[in-house]
Amino acid sequence: MSDQLSFIWDQLPNLLWGFPNQRPGGLLLSILLSAGAIGVGLVLALTLGFGTHSHRRLVRAVSSRFIWLVRGIPLIVLLVLLFQFLGTGGLFGIRFSAFWTAAVTLVMYSAAYQADIISGGIAAVPQQLRDDARVLGAGPLTVARTITIPHCLRSMRFALITQAITIFKDSSVVVVLGVADLTTNARIALGGDVTRAPFWVATYLAVGLLYWIVAFSLGRLAQRSARSQTHAPPARREKVGAHA
Amino acid sequence: MPPWLDADLASELARGVLVTISLVLLTSVASCVLGLLAATGRRSPGVAVRRLSATFVEIFRNVPALILLIFFAFAVPNVLPADLRRSLLFDNAVMDAISTVTTLPLPYYALAAATALTANTAAHLAEVVGSGMDAVAPTRAEAARTLGASARQANWSVTVLDGVRIAFPGIINRLVHNLKNTALVGLVAVPDAFQEIRGAIDETFEATQLLLFAAVLYLALATVLEFGLRRLEVALWRGRPIDRVVDV
Repeated sequence: MSDQLSFIWDQLPNLLWGFPNQRPGGLLLSILLSAGAIGVGLVLALTLGFGTHSHRRLVRAVSSRFIWLVRGIPLIVLLVLLFQFLGTGGLFGIRFSAFWTAAVTLVMYSAAYQADIISGGIAAVPQQLRDDARVLGAGPLTVARTITIPHCLRSMRFALITQAITIFKDSSVVVVLGVADLTTNARIALGGDVTRAPFWVATYLAVGLLYWIVAFSLGRLAQRSARSQTHAPPARREKVGAHA
Repeated sequence: MPPWLDADLASELARGVLVTISLVLLTSVASCVLGLLAATGRRSPGVAVRRLSATFVEIFRNVPALILLIFFAFAVPNVLPADLRRSLLFDNAVMDAISTVTTLPLPYYALAAATALTANTAAHLAEVVGSGMDAVAPTRAEAARTLGASARQANWSVTVLDGVRIAFPGIINRLVHNLKNTALVGLVAVPDAFQEIRGAIDETFEATQLLLFAAVLYLALATVLEFGLRRLEVALWRGRPIDRVVDV
């Protein structure tokens, strides 16, 4: 038992922020990768979300096909497939490293799921609100910036946080490309050494616990935001029309 | 037919697809049952049952599926001493029987993978079904009681079944996600479709074509599963207008 604990204790820094004298890894990298994917993904998702409501048929088709495509393929397949194109193949003249392929894939993956949520959120913004703003002289961009986006993000915030937690957990799959995240570092720490076999349970319990702590606390945050959503004080929008 | 695809390779790929489909069916059914139990357990009057269900849900929902897979398949056997591990998990009549039926060389890994995926999906489904049950107007169960239904009958056929109906879009989402999660079992030595495809890439070096095939395969499987579940959803709602289920 004590050797289990001392093994975990020795490996803990590697699991938390990576091996010494190397680029950041471990849980820190898992968080950075998923935070980046969620942040950049959200921008892409807003574009795609508006795309699914576009007046142009082509834009609508492209956005919804992209969402459908990425959502229908397992992340592990997507990672290996994109690495084939971007990493090994060097599709755009530059060869992406495993890390950057993982980053690009996670952005796409995250964006597709977020876009699906945002598309629903945009549909739930009362048309009346947007029409009123247009009548008052606001241009389409102003309406999007001041009405559609805030309204949509507010009503969909619970779903978006839940999705963010899923991305964080799914980022463990980057282990197939050997990106030094928490899962990969656990694997490296254990190595192929038979003498380390007894440490597997303790190590993966520790890894599971680390993922659990982050996911569980974010989940609590989502719950709190959902509660404040239902008990929200009457907002300004109350004047213009009932919340759909 | 591409020239590199010979009969051996094709049959290996077909076997992989069969493993994936069986795994999807098995884990979907098992996680629906377990998820329903956990959802009702979390709302049961017994404190112990409630605590147990809540713990199950909170543990298996917040740990990545991949970690659960590795834990059950590779970490758990290491708890046992080598000879016991061998006789209990790998070399025995039960495992041999499963191996003969499924043609899997090491059925323990498949069982462990199925357990991990089931636990993960069940925990998510428990949350989805639970919120569906909470959306059923409590007056409806009370009405059923007034009309002479027992507490159990009212709970089952009103709260649980209508909760499932309401939650069905979420259930579909989760089961499709579970289908995609099965692509991870190759990392714990289960020869599923994606694992066989990766094996075929090592043999033929036709990475691009085979990976595109993998993408199309999972898209097709996901589309079929979703289509089937949508049909089931329509069937579940037949003759049951939504305003009789929720207070609109």
